[in-house]
Amino acid sequence: MPTSYPTARLTLGQMRRSVGRLTAAGVAIAIGTAFVTVTLLAGGVITRTTYDMVAASYAGADVVVSVDDDQGLAAFDAETVEKVAAVDGVAAVQPVVGYYGDLRNGGKGGYLAFAPVPVEPRLSPLELTDGAWPASGDEVALTTKVAERLGAGIGDTVTLRRTVYPEGWADSRSEDPAAELGEPEEVTEELEVTGLTDDPYGAYAGYGGAAAVTSVTIDAWNADEPSPYLVTELLVALDTPPEGTTVPAGLDDAIHAATAAVAGDVAVKTTQERAEDQTAAQTGGQNLVFLVFVLTFAAIALLVAAMVITNTFQVLVAQRTRTLALLRCIGAGTGQLYRSVLLEAAVLGAIASAAGILAGGVLAQVALLVAPAFDLGVPLPGAITPTWQSVVLPFAVGIGVTVLAALAPARAATRVAPLAALRPADAPTLRARSGRARLVIAILCTLGGFAALGLGVVLGMNGGPQFGLVASVLGGALSFFGVVLSSVLWLPRVAAGLGALVARTGPAARLAVANTLRNPRRTAATSTALLIGVTLVTMMSTGAASARSSGDVMLDEAFPYDLSVAPSDERYLADVHDATAATEGVAATAKVAHAILTVGDVEGLEVTAADPAELARVVNTPDDAERLTEGSILLTQEAAESLSVAAGEPVTVTGPEGSIDLSVVLTASAPLNRTLTSADLARVAGDDTWTDVWAHLGGGDDPTTVLADVQQAVGQVDGSALVMGPAAQAAQFRQVVDVILGIVVGLLAVAVVIALIGVTNTLSLSVIERTRESATLRAIGLSKEQLRGMLAVEGMLIAGVGAVLGVALGLVYGWAGAATALSLMGEVQYAVPWTDVIVVIVVALVAGLLASVVPARAAARTSPVAALAVE
Amino acid sequence: MDTTVYLPVGSSSPAVRARSLTKTYGTGEAAVHALAGVDVDFAAGQFTAIMGPSGSGKSTLMHLLAGLDTATSGQAFLGTTDITRLGDRELTRLRRDRVGFVFQQFNLLPMFTAEQNITLPVELAGGSVDPEWLATLVSTLGLEQRLSHRPAELSGGQQQRVAIARALIAQPDVVFADEPTGNLDSRSGAEVLSFLRRSVRELGRTIIMVTHDPSAAAYADRVVLIADGRIAGDITDPTPESALAGLDALRTLEPAVQTGPVA
Repeated sequence: MPTSYPTARLTLGQMRRSVGRLTAAGVAIAIGTAFVTVTLLAGGVITRTTYDMVAASYAGADVVVSVDDDQGLAAFDAETVEKVAAVDGVAAVQPVVGYYGDLRNGGKGGYLAFAPVPVEPRLSPLELTDGAWPASGDEVALTTKVAERLGAGIGDTVTLRRTVYPEGWADSRSEDPAAELGEPEEVTEELEVTGLTDDPYGAYAGYGGAAAVTSVTIDAWNADEPSPYLVTELLVALDTPPEGTTVPAGLDDAIHAATAAVAGDVAVKTTQERAEDQTAAQTGGQNLVFLVFVLTFAAIALLVAAMVITNTFQVLVAQRTRTLALLRCIGAGTGQLYRSVLLEAAVLGAIASAAGILAGGVLAQVALLVAPAFDLGVPLPGAITPTWQSVVLPFAVGIGVTVLAALAPARAATRVAPLAALRPADAPTLRARSGRARLVIAILCTLGGFAALGLGVVLGMNGGPQFGLVASVLGGALSFFGVVLSSVLWLPRVAAGLGALVARTGPAARLAVANTLRNPRRTAATSTALLIGVTLVTMMSTGAASARSSGDVMLDEAFPYDLSVAPSDERYLADVHDATAATEGVAATAKVAHAILTVGDVEGLEVTAADPAELARVVNTPDDAERLTEGSILLTQEAAESLSVAAGEPVTVTGPEGSIDLSVVLTASAPLNRTLTSADLARVAGDDTWTDVWAHLGGGDDPTTVLADVQQAVGQVDGSALVMGPAAQAAQFRQVVDVILGIVVGLLAVAVVIALIGVTNTLSLSVIERTRESATLRAIGLSKEQLRGMLAVEGMLIAGVGAVLGVALGLVYGWAGAATALSLMGEVQYAVPWTDVIVVIVVALVAGLLASVVPARAAARTSPVAALAVE
Repeated sequence: MDTTVYLPVGSSSPAVRARSLTKTYGTGEAAVHALAGVDVDFAAGQFTAIMGPSGSGKSTLMHLLAGLDTATSGQAFLGTTDITRLGDRELTRLRRDRVGFVFQQFNLLPMFTAEQNITLPVELAGGSVDPEWLATLVSTLGLEQRLSHRPAELSGGQQQRVAIARALIAQPDVVFADEPTGNLDSRSGAEVLSFLRRSVRELGRTIIMVTHDPSAAAYADRVVLIADGRIAGDITDPTPESALAGLDALRTLEPAVQTGPVA
């Protein structure tokens, strides 16, 4: 019975007339809700992946018996395991136990997870695919991935290096347990590969695979550790699987009775129940952080969308002034008009949110389908699992944001006087109210916020980064809120200033500038929506650029070489050196020895030693290195002063093999402090040294590529060698910064896209409003090209003002953040990410230009006759 | 029926001509003939009113003559230029340089001052304003004190005078005025009409005005009557009474009216 709902009928009628305008606003909301949906679905995928991995580790167990206490010390002993196995109806019991050790074949390999050979095949996630399970302590089975990495096959021998700690090591309260209990002993186990296994459910995917040894072996190894692996879970296979998700009461009681001797709370649960509990425990924290992090960006996107919606509805109400006034004349109450606008917003919000949720779901599903193409090392589910939260939450948020955004325009609709119906049909404009309260709040927020930001920077630069960061973040947020809130007051003035420059270029531009300024509130709102996104993007890239260049400078100061390789054992040194030297892009290499010696009267100083000629070829300060001769030592000014020696004076260097006097040569390079020749080192230190390979890179190659090549080459001979260096570190640092920046900018880009939709929307609305004006201009000689040019300038001006101001604000915030957070690390470099800044401004201008294309076509189609038409 | 109106002997050469001008909206059964083959000449240096009842086609005729709308068939000449053959680019140039418009709704740009509104057509054309001509227009239209005001600060009559100045600033061959007094009270209307007449007599301009108001038409040198898309009469040196009589005659479906001396 539609007649019972006059408001609804009116609303739907008006919506039908404004479909085009509402669509553009709807797209903004749809993008925002799609964002929220994808975030929630991704959270679901993370939970799902975790569950899958946990469930996989329980393999085919029917029941999981677990124990827990407050200290985390409770565990099942072997006796209890036997008792549980003896319980009526229990087919097999597998204690969950593991070990982490350094397994190698020659130099290849590294730390990996060990699993026990299962007592019952269905109680292990590992499946034997080839050969046999290990039967004795000197046998091992490898997953195919591990076997590939080690380059080992069935019949080969691999070595495990482990440390045997004296009994009571972990409980010892002495500062130096070795003195009391004896030194820990290094043991090498030779293991023969007897079988290959598969990990079909990816239980060990997170560790890169696993090696299986007998459970006796794994227990023995664990016993030698200071903190052995505690058995807190027993996987139980039953003669007849339980039905449903509950453990039969009789079995539950029997197992509790069997484990009565164990201290702590024993729980008997079905595998599914246990996996769900463990998943919740594991993802509770991480998942929440992830959700909060991403949802913050979703909130920013929705805020921008809300601004676009408010703008749209304000214009819709303005355009309907006559209709609204007419309705008032024929008896509509203000409440009815208010509800009508809100209902319109709710309907728009509902449709747009539904579309957004659908789009988000499709996007997430496509991402899951594409993901396996990138080897992520984690088994992802093949399909999304929509939960009620991932549907209802975005839907509610979408409608809520739309309705909230329409509140102000709805109030404006109630202020339309019935008399307005009788006035001539000139384009109505909403009068901007003075908003004194807004001004006061905005000024307080801006001033207070910037003061807090300044305080944060000062604190950060004076060694209080924690409080500094809190003050900076709060201050930054507060001042930004103030800036956005007050934008309607000052942004049009900035636009006027920029416009004055543009206006000189011709009459069309002058018209455009005048048009931009005639509705300052709308221009401000549209530009501000863009400003928010641009500010945040610029802030992040400025912070990242500052972090990058600060890092580069610090690394240059700290390290004298381009790249260094530290073998994991002196045995691999020659191979590592050759592999490094042979890598393309490496220009020179030197073996650089280190030892702890006594210099002058100071004990325990690390000294560096190399062949002077070799050293000069690899360090960044070759002049200093060349001054090193046999019988001399390089010292910095400060080091020489603290040892009370001057240049040319002798200083005594003492090591286990004896001592020699070396003459002091001063160096300006801090990293070359306490450097002597290899020959001199050999005289005092003997064998008690360790050696790195330093390398100098040729100019032409990208250090990142060379680093990867060296890592690859060195990995062939020593999988655990540490490859690093300023070039490499800078590359790694840059990589980390770039990945984080990429993710954050990607998330913020959504807000920018929505803001750009807002620009199009504003321009379209202006064009519709100004139909008669455009026609008049055409009638008095404005060409179609000039009309299009006028709108293009308008779009570019609105977008450009937002972008330029956003960039300026973003630079300030980025530098403030860098000063606060990075001061602890050393001198901060204030970088301007020129490329990013230029890209942002160009994108904004091009988008402004593109945003004008569709509205301009519509405007150019208008016949000049429309100027003469009487409404 | 011969509806051709022949120019009075001795008048100057025509500024605007229509030949078999036809405008049809829709096709087939639903076709509406807004103009059904009109032949008419408008003399240069004259103030001509096109008068007819609502729906007679007078506005359509003006739109076609001014190049604002495209004819279904026939020709319209501005001087010797056949504007029915021109494309949008040429029409824009024509409107810039040779045609001026005065609208019922004034259609001033709200964000510009009176002076900026007046000079806008010249700027759009990329030319420079002739200060003497501007001064002449401003003083003729009595706008000296109003140049720095925005449209919202002007009365209706003042706005329309600004619009007239805007229409004349480029010294066009002809100015088309569409019901220029339609939105004004009678006093302001009379004022505006006097200004239009002065523009013709003192400044030598050509003005064609569309109106349905006989007292407005009486300000013109000549009235062309139009009904049902055809020329239905021609009155030279009209008075309000003769114009009204002409309009009444159309309502009584008299085929044609010819009054006044044929000089």
